[in-house]
Amino acid sequence: MAAKRSRQAVPLDRDSSGRYLPLLVAIMVYMAALALAGALSMSKLAERWDTGLAGALTVQVPADPAADAAQFAAVTEALSATPGVVAVEPMDSGAITALLEPWLGDAMLTGDLPLPRLIAVTIDTDAPPDIAALQARLQALAPGSLVDDHQRWLDRLLDLARAVELMALVVVVLVVLAASIMVAFVTRMGLAAHERSIELLHLIGAQDSYVARQFQNHALSLGLRGGLLGLVCALPTLYLARMLLQRIDSGLLPELNFLAHEWSYFVLLPVAAALVTMLAARVTVLRTLARLP
Amino acid sequence: MVRFEDVVLRYGNGPEILKRVSLQFDPGSYHFLVGASGAGKSSLLRMMYLAQHPSAGRVALFGRDVTGLSRRETALLRRRIGVVFQDFRLLDHLTARENIALPLRISGQAGARSDKDVEELLSWVGLADQMDALPPTLSGGQQQRVAIARAVIGRPSLLLADEPTGNLDDRMAVRLLHLFEELNKIGTTVVIATHNESLVQRFPHPVTRLRDGEVEIAGAVPPGTAPATHTVSQRGGD
Repeated sequence: MAAKRSRQAVPLDRDSSGRYLPLLVAIMVYMAALALAGALSMSKLAERWDTGLAGALTVQVPADPAADAAQFAAVTEALSATPGVVAVEPMDSGAITALLEPWLGDAMLTGDLPLPRLIAVTIDTDAPPDIAALQARLQALAPGSLVDDHQRWLDRLLDLARAVELMALVVVVLVVLAASIMVAFVTRMGLAAHERSIELLHLIGAQDSYVARQFQNHALSLGLRGGLLGLVCALPTLYLARMLLQRIDSGLLPELNFLAHEWSYFVLLPVAAALVTMLAARVTVLRTLARLP
Repeated sequence: MVRFEDVVLRYGNGPEILKRVSLQFDPGSYHFLVGASGAGKSSLLRMMYLAQHPSAGRVALFGRDVTGLSRRETALLRRRIGVVFQDFRLLDHLTARENIALPLRISGQAGARSDKDVEELLSWVGLADQMDALPPTLSGGQQQRVAIARAVIGRPSLLLADEPTGNLDDRMAVRLLHLFEELNKIGTTVVIATHNESLVQRFPHPVTRLRDGEVEIAGAVPPGTAPATHTVSQRGGD
């Protein structure tokens, strides 16, 4: 009896107008999930680069066979004495070799390739030293020395990360727009297919909102079904992408490790898709019926 | 209750279906609308249940001019009108019980009590054993009875019936017209369009005859029957 009571007055589940809607919503949610994953991972990568390099300088002293250890020590001392410098940490040749190994390989580094000496410097971000003055002073002590505050490189990387985030957001907006247009089209087909039933409902006292409810409930159900399907398909894709990124193991690439609250965004995608579908159906019905005499 | 003043109806640039019709049905009255096929009975009823606007003239229902009503106001007014359509207009995917309960669902009155009312009404129209049958499995007469039950379930103030006995045997036809009389006794205004004049002659209610879109006879009580309390009044027009 309860099942009979809940039967819709407009038999939308019996016509073909909405048959492919769940599949189309599934594709939309799949694309939105990938875009969301891209946006989240790029945001985290940008944050990691930003915090990782903030307050850090790298001083490079050229490999000069003529230069002696005293010159390197003088540079180190000058750095330590500079106001705004918190810590100075000369890197040993082992650490430098480890840094370059992924790019130059084992064989190159075991030879006589002259490697510059590197000094990792931590600065006080509230009162940083004057980089230009520091550069000049170190040049005087060891010609060819370079002070790299990573800022130019970091700025470009952050620009790239933000552009990728923005693109992902645009993709999500386009997906929502496309879904709305598609639902409006399907809803109009449904309105045409059930014109006689709808006319009868009006003649026995139904308001437009009653008719809209029939369509929006149906759209909500289809949207939720499609959304869940899309999410279920997106999860293995994300898992695969994560595995591939982990295999590369590079600090420059984004990671697809999400926190619990970030996973909740993905879980919300089918719900959001269902709500967008429902709302689009309701607005379409109300606007179409309002134009009737 | 129902008032037509110089009402003209034409579809597009076609001929006039109704020609300056003026009439008035008082609250609580019971009327027959007779005339040959094409005389304009159904068009007149369509305007009464707000499916059609007049091309000219004025239609008032329940004391309100229906011109310029909003869609919401139209819907609320329609809830006070029960209609038996000539082609029944049942929803094929709903059972007889669900079809009858539809006006209650729409007006938010569905519930345990209304379920009982629906079942009682189904029994009354002789379909107690067909409550869960779908309309396509019912005969024409049975479908007509479901349509009648749907029209009266909400105890409308105005009941309009377009050929409500067309598919019924004489005994069932008389029985249903008596049901309409019962509703009429509790205040429902009843307007029945029919071509079955022999049936009409058996009831003491005023008859309005249409011919070629014009009111030919307004509110005549069939001879040999007791006069009805309320009569139709013909106004101007012709």
